[in-house]
Amino acid sequence: MKRTNIRSAAWRHIYAWALILFSIFPIYVVIISSFDPAGGLASSTLLPQRFSWVNYETLFTSPTIPFMTWIWNSSYLAALNAILSIVVGAFSAFAFSRLRFKGRKTGLQTLLLIQVFPAFLALAAIYVMMERIYTIFPAIGLGSHGGLLLIYLGGSMGVNAWLLKGFIDSIPMELDEAAKIDGATPFQIFWQIFVPLSAPVLAVTALLSFIGTFNEFVLASLFLQDVNLRTVAVGLQSFVGAQFGANWGPFAAGSILASVPLVALFLFAQRYIIGGLVSGSVKG
Amino acid sequence: MAKLKQDSKPVRLGPLVAKIIIMSLFAAGLGYMMFVAFLAGENLIGGVLALVLIASFVVYSSNGLVPLKFLLPGIVLLAIFVVTPILYTVLMSGFVYKTGNEISREEALTQIYETGYVPDESFTAFYMTLGRYEGEVSALLTDQMTMTPYLGANGVATELGPDQVQLDEYGTAVGFEGFEPIGFDEAATLEADIIDLRFDMGEGKFIRPESLDAALLMIQAFTLDGSSGELYDSVNDITYVDNGEGNFVNKANPEEKLFPGWRAFSPLENYVGLLTDPVIRGPFVNVFIWTFSFALITVATMFAAGLALAIAMDKPLRFKRFYKSILILPYAIPSFMSILIWNGMFNRDFGAVNQLLGQQIDWYNDATLAKLVIIIVNLWLGFPYFYLICSGALQALPGELEEAASIDGASPAQIMARIKLPLLLQILSPLLIASFAFNFNNFNIVYLLTNGGPINVLAGETAGATDILITYAYKTAFGSAEQNLGLASAISVIMFFIVGGLSLWSLRRSKVLESVI
Repeated sequence: MKRTNIRSAAWRHIYAWALILFSIFPIYVVIISSFDPAGGLASSTLLPQRFSWVNYETLFTSPTIPFMTWIWNSSYLAALNAILSIVVGAFSAFAFSRLRFKGRKTGLQTLLLIQVFPAFLALAAIYVMMERIYTIFPAIGLGSHGGLLLIYLGGSMGVNAWLLKGFIDSIPMELDEAAKIDGATPFQIFWQIFVPLSAPVLAVTALLSFIGTFNEFVLASLFLQDVNLRTVAVGLQSFVGAQFGANWGPFAAGSILASVPLVALFLFAQRYIIGGLVSGSVKG
Repeated sequence: MAKLKQDSKPVRLGPLVAKIIIMSLFAAGLGYMMFVAFLAGENLIGGVLALVLIASFVVYSSNGLVPLKFLLPGIVLLAIFVVTPILYTVLMSGFVYKTGNEISREEALTQIYETGYVPDESFTAFYMTLGRYEGEVSALLTDQMTMTPYLGANGVATELGPDQVQLDEYGTAVGFEGFEPIGFDEAATLEADIIDLRFDMGEGKFIRPESLDAALLMIQAFTLDGSSGELYDSVNDITYVDNGEGNFVNKANPEEKLFPGWRAFSPLENYVGLLTDPVIRGPFVNVFIWTFSFALITVATMFAAGLALAIAMDKPLRFKRFYKSILILPYAIPSFMSILIWNGMFNRDFGAVNQLLGQQIDWYNDATLAKLVIIIVNLWLGFPYFYLICSGALQALPGELEEAASIDGASPAQIMARIKLPLLLQILSPLLIASFAFNFNNFNIVYLLTNGGPINVLAGETAGATDILITYAYKTAFGSAEQNLGLASAISVIMFFIVGGLSLWSLRRSKVLESVI
């Protein structure tokens, strides 16, 4: 009995270590490459041989790679989308969860069905629509951050409303009944009871939304042609896609810079995110 | 009762003023946009804006309609930016809408007519004297054969009597009452206007300047027969008919098209093409099969690896926390970045994978290897997620089951295989289906890793070996060679059905739709 335990423990460690090596292999390669001054894929080696910050300097100084602009574009678009979609989503979730009105059930079922279609499935239609909007309102048409944000908002708002409704359902009814007796309006119940109570959930939903938008590529590549308007996903793809060999070093440095804040955020909110994952959202 | 209570509440001025200010700013912005849209002739967009404006005014200025106050912003966003594109995709899939067929029928006809202007049969030419008549750039024209003088002004050519004009020594009209000739120097500065001059002669004929002192009689080669809808080319003596797919084609040889074409409504054209046209069907079927196999294989491998890890880590293990924090790293890194990193690592000549293996494997130029790369990289991206949900679900399984089974003499392996696994599969099946649907549309992994390749463009292939439906639709719509928005929309509609069907099936299974309360 004891022997099998040791053997089984050994297998567990071996399997875990195999996956650990698999997990860190690319991370290791990228870290090594980012500090290698030669900068090209051709000169990269598995073992570190030189050390320099030159790739990082390239990122901040090169006029052809507006890397920091891309990071900023991605971050503010993702943040705006997260915040706005949470606000609008929370309003809808509250109405569906707490208010009684005609057509509520149908509305909820419709929302549930609509939110399963990712926006980018309709890419050709979105392109034609936004091209047309561009001719009268360039600021929210094709090629603009405004238009991209509106499309993102439509998509993530439905998902978020659905996730948040599940959470608001779990808050005991007695709370708002008590508030109602005290003469609170639905808006006061929303702001003074639900928003504070669901603050952690709102934050995690916003974070998931942020990560999702940060990773979005299809629509961003369709919308953003101007180099300075690109998100980091589209920007990195374009300068990597053209000459991976030559740009490997700066690319490695850039991916580390862009990943570190997100990874930190993720590890920080890990516990909550995992709870949210199990209850429904999917990545990977 | 409720009414009484509301009346007795003190009215707070601050929020009311804020509400009025916000609403007026919003109304002003939207109203301005509506005005601009109508002014530009975009009545549809203007109408939608008007609707939003009226709806928000009604909802937010009334005392009731509380649910709508909460729901309206969401409804507007979903209706305009989610539902409309979906419906528009369905509509577009019913049109022949591709490179060469992008404009309306009227615009296409105008362009065809533009190419149809030819000199008349006898090449009638005119001597021309430019000048101004009633303030407009005009011309005195003299037929080179008959020496008949004309005045070309305001788009019309009028025949003049021989005694009305002054002639030069060659018999060319150079003067006329009210006509002020202009010199070559001034004419040269007006060249852009002069090129556009047309003087109608009736019967579809008109005079057009060819230089600063000569003009030609032009006729329109094409005539559209209003009743039969046939377009006749009088110069080449060809009759063209509308082929119903957005082009005029030679009646005798339907393969010979007249360009440009137009967006033609032909509801089943694109779908029929996908099923029957060998050029489209071939790649489509391959892409379709690979999309399903990819989604199945990738979910299976990620789930297997994640589940095995969850089982391995289920027991107390030394360094468990340390292992765990490293194992979820792939999930925490932005996925597009990991994919691009792996893209470089599988490079044939310098990639880290080949260096590690000591080989020179050309991963991206072989269909099977490229598929393998996609599965491996997606495994890397996805196994932590399945590890997390599997270990969560394992811990949630009631402990009594295990106890009861072990009292009955079941080994740990038997407990796992016979009791825990079936339960786990049942609990996780909605997530497995959702993950299948996600990977079914996993644009990033394919586009950023292999870009759908390998593909043999020279052999006329339109889809690569690793293209999935969504990347194929993207390339069909925005490819460099031909852009076929209609066909891409048809592929999108097929994806709507698959994704919608899958989700509906999953919701039915888990009874979510029915249990909506």
